[in-house]
Amino acid sequence: MDLILPILRKEHKKHGYLSEDILKKISKKTKVPVSRLYAVATFYTMLHTEKQGKNIIEICGSPSCYLNGELDLENFLEKELNIEFGQTTKDKKISLYKTSCIGCCDKAPAMLLNGKAITNLTKEKVKTILKKCRS
Amino acid sequence: MKISLNNKNIEVDPGKSLLEICRENNINIPTLCYQEGLKPGGRCRVCLVEVDGKLVTSCTEKPKENSKIITNSEKVLKARKMNIELIMAGHITTCSIDKDAHDLCGMLEEIGLTGIRFEPIRKYKEDLGSSVVRNDNKCINCGRCIRTCAEIQAVYAIDFASRGYNEHVAPYCEHNLADVACIKCGQCILHCPVGAIHEREHLHEVMEVLKNKKKHVIVQTAPSIRAALGEEFGLEPGTLVTGKMVAALRKCGFDKVFDVNLGADMTIMEEASEFIKRFENGGPFPMITTCCPGWILMMEHFYPDLIKNNNMSTCKSPHEMLGMLTKSYYAKKANIDPKDIIVVSIMPCTAKKFESTRPELETGVDYVLTTREAAKLIRFNKIDFKNIKDENFDPALGIATGAGAIFGATGGVMEAALRTAYEFGNQKTLEKVEFNEIRGMDGIKEGTVKVKGKTIKFAVAHGGANNRKLLENKDKYHFIEMMACPGGCIGGGGQPPHISKDILKKRIKAIYKEESNMEFKKSHENPIVRKIYKEYLDHPLSEKAEKFLHTKYTKRSQF
Amino acid sequence: MQILEKTELKALKKARNLGPKKTISLLNKKGLTGRGGASFPTGKKWEFALKQKSKEKYVICNADEGEPGTFKDKFIMQKNPETLIEGILIASETIGAKQAYIYLRGEYENLKSKLEKTITKVIRKAKTKVNIEIILGAGAYVCGEETAIIKSIEGFRGQPYLKPPYPPVEGLYGKPTVINNVETLTAAAHAILLDNWNSLLRLFCISGDVTKPGVYELPAGIKLSEAMKLAKPKNPVKSVYFGCFGGCMPYKDIELTHDNICGEDCVSGSCTMIVVDNTRSIVDLAYVISKFFAYESCGKCTPCREGSVRILLLIKKIRQGKATAQDLNLLQELGEHIGQTSLCGLGQSCTNHILTSLKHFRKDFEKELR
Repeated sequence: MDLILPILRKEHKKHGYLSEDILKKISKKTKVPVSRLYAVATFYTMLHTEKQGKNIIEICGSPSCYLNGELDLENFLEKELNIEFGQTTKDKKISLYKTSCIGCCDKAPAMLLNGKAITNLTKEKVKTILKKCRS
Repeated sequence: MKISLNNKNIEVDPGKSLLEICRENNINIPTLCYQEGLKPGGRCRVCLVEVDGKLVTSCTEKPKENSKIITNSEKVLKARKMNIELIMAGHITTCSIDKDAHDLCGMLEEIGLTGIRFEPIRKYKEDLGSSVVRNDNKCINCGRCIRTCAEIQAVYAIDFASRGYNEHVAPYCEHNLADVACIKCGQCILHCPVGAIHEREHLHEVMEVLKNKKKHVIVQTAPSIRAALGEEFGLEPGTLVTGKMVAALRKCGFDKVFDVNLGADMTIMEEASEFIKRFENGGPFPMITTCCPGWILMMEHFYPDLIKNNNMSTCKSPHEMLGMLTKSYYAKKANIDPKDIIVVSIMPCTAKKFESTRPELETGVDYVLTTREAAKLIRFNKIDFKNIKDENFDPALGIATGAGAIFGATGGVMEAALRTAYEFGNQKTLEKVEFNEIRGMDGIKEGTVKVKGKTIKFAVAHGGANNRKLLENKDKYHFIEMMACPGGCIGGGGQPPHISKDILKKRIKAIYKEESNMEFKKSHENPIVRKIYKEYLDHPLSEKAEKFLHTKYTKRSQF
Repeated sequence: MQILEKTELKALKKARNLGPKKTISLLNKKGLTGRGGASFPTGKKWEFALKQKSKEKYVICNADEGEPGTFKDKFIMQKNPETLIEGILIASETIGAKQAYIYLRGEYENLKSKLEKTITKVIRKAKTKVNIEIILGAGAYVCGEETAIIKSIEGFRGQPYLKPPYPPVEGLYGKPTVINNVETLTAAAHAILLDNWNSLLRLFCISGDVTKPGVYELPAGIKLSEAMKLAKPKNPVKSVYFGCFGGCMPYKDIELTHDNICGEDCVSGSCTMIVVDNTRSIVDLAYVISKFFAYESCGKCTPCREGSVRILLLIKKIRQGKATAQDLNLLQELGEHIGQTSLCGLGQSCTNHILTSLKHFRKDFEKELR
């Protein structure tokens, strides 16, 4: 039996998102209806059906991060990137998301940059990260 | 097992759900996501009851020994009301559907919900299909359409997308239904409790042509309409309303009322001849029937090899055949310019709407109305349907046989075809005309018959999932009947909603009752059929018959 | 820390010698209960699955640690993965499963490769027929719920379904399945091997307005003030949140037992404590947590799908200064309703924080009314 979630994740990693054509290809291979693949893909926040920016920033919005100043970072990120959460910058360099707790509450606030946790965030730290992402 | 239900001690079957037990005890429990025949999902949470003080969904809960169940406590009623309020807040505020046709709006009064304290927060685009229209602004996420499409029909055209309060029903990648592999059977419509899915209506257009004095407007009704239309007017399921239906339609302003059963007889003449021809040539087998446009779409999307291997009969469906004959044979006899004839089919089916737009059919049918639309038309004309005096079909193309009549039930097409094929092949009379092995609601039925000393194996399937299952073993058979909807046309997607297995059985019974009253039971005995061949088509499968009564198919995308 | 003791396959060896039945009764005797939140006796769970006659059985290690403020499973997977894997092997061999899955939440992707290496190493050393595969989640809090994990692995939307049937009887692909979380499986190895194993020790995750956040191994029943001494709050503590779903209580020096916490209308669950000090408004916390639950509701059942977003909108209204006392009553009514009528544990507990904060900190809300 094919494990659908790992297949979706693998293709997502390869292409950066799950396009219609990719979903159809997976459907042909696994015999799982494409409507269900789309249903699964849109259920999970880490799977996207639209093309993503080169870098994905997901900031943790859990209470522990909030209590350690996450809200300021949210506003800072939106202003710096000139986009709202859920959007991608015009130059396609960065997509910005909020995520549920990433288990870094002891080093809050924290974010995931392309899946890697970056902790004890400050505005300065975020600035450096953005600079790297844009280059 | 003993339980206490509303303070009454009763003995119950531990295998049944509390909902079933309550309903058996005449206790009304409102439901939205519950659907007979599907495993309950507990989504809508409207069927709440109190079990030993705790709120549970009665559709999912089995009784426990000595438990105390209350179905009408203040706690229960308040919780139900709140869930309905939350649902209504997401349901379009301008919903104006007839209360009876619509479970949600129908229960508001009983629940006692007057004001809604929440503002609408979502807005979706309407999905206008060629046959089936979806409006997510009415949708309440009960999932019945999705489960019907997947579990009963095995089509998987729709599923949920996104999650949380953004969860909504959608074809993959938010396409329109018309652009995906949907077979347009309309079974989702029958099970939608809020009217979020319905047929693409053509009632308005039909009412316009009825006003046009220059047009000769002919209506033709499918075999299964007469066994279901009465339900729209409060008659018991299974009430046969042939005469009332004809009278009411005539009163609506149609110039002629024809019986599609005659078209069914024509289909049998062609199909049985086609089968005998294959029989003599040794194949290709199985030959598969083509009356059902939902099945045709399923085949074109998912089983195009059946086209390549010539498994499909080439016969048009009965109403398309009759439409062609109306605009050619009848037009000539009645001396009317075919351009001035408008043919309206009343069908139990939403896929027929799509069928009538197929270019390859050079269709004779201008508009297709569902049974529900026909009822709307009759209501609009303020006709007292229950008390109207019976009238007969117009004789020109109005005599049919019992063989044509049973097309409306699963197995009917096969049975009718076998009666004629038997006599064509064996050149002798078939004494017992009933093929009981292919009657009834079993998903897949089969049987054998001898033609010229050889055994012919035939099979019948209804409901998309059963069609798929039968196709796995198709090579075992010579002749297969496929119907997309459970029960056949009597359970079609254009029929009155609120269907259950019980109602389907009653409708089927009505169909066989109609058949038993008929003088002729075999299509080739129909005097009008004989006349049409004599005067116009020569013989089955003649060049002219091929041109008017046969068609071809197109491979379509599996997605 | 007890949880970090390496068992070096000695626990597996002991379990093999004991055989399934005796292993299970040993676990029962030691009093190991689930550490995911429901505190169901682990031995009993295994026993149900053992009794089922099925060729195929599964073990799923729930590593979908999504509860905000909780990071103890991550801590174990980083510091003692060998013992965790051993625990999985013990569970699998005991119930007769040949396939085990670790359902690792997507946010912990960076733990995967190290974990895989450990699996290979341990399996080779253990000479077992059990295969362990990691399945990476993809961002869904609800997939910490055991029936949602099953749906997710089976390739469906990770939406919970109603039990029964319970997973040990009919779980993954309809086969008997034991689902235990990371801490439980690790502790199972310890419970089997260590003579002096202390069943009371729990991993407390303390974070929020404290200067020393982290994972602390403390006995259940310890006084809250003792725990606070370790975590060192920045200011006087106003309230403690037991994760997002557990609700909040005003600071009170209670002994942290299941019953005591329940007595404050909270749920202890997985020993998570988010400390909130007296510089904060509870309304702001309510907003952050409501946002989380509206975002993570799976959408399946009406009260949670429709209700959680209504709660969020009401809190927003309060924060904007536009709400009335009527809105506050509606908030309370909705909170009770969602808790009582939702399908799964997420829905049933997603308004605990509203109900407890309205009970203990109603003034914070009333201050912001119109």
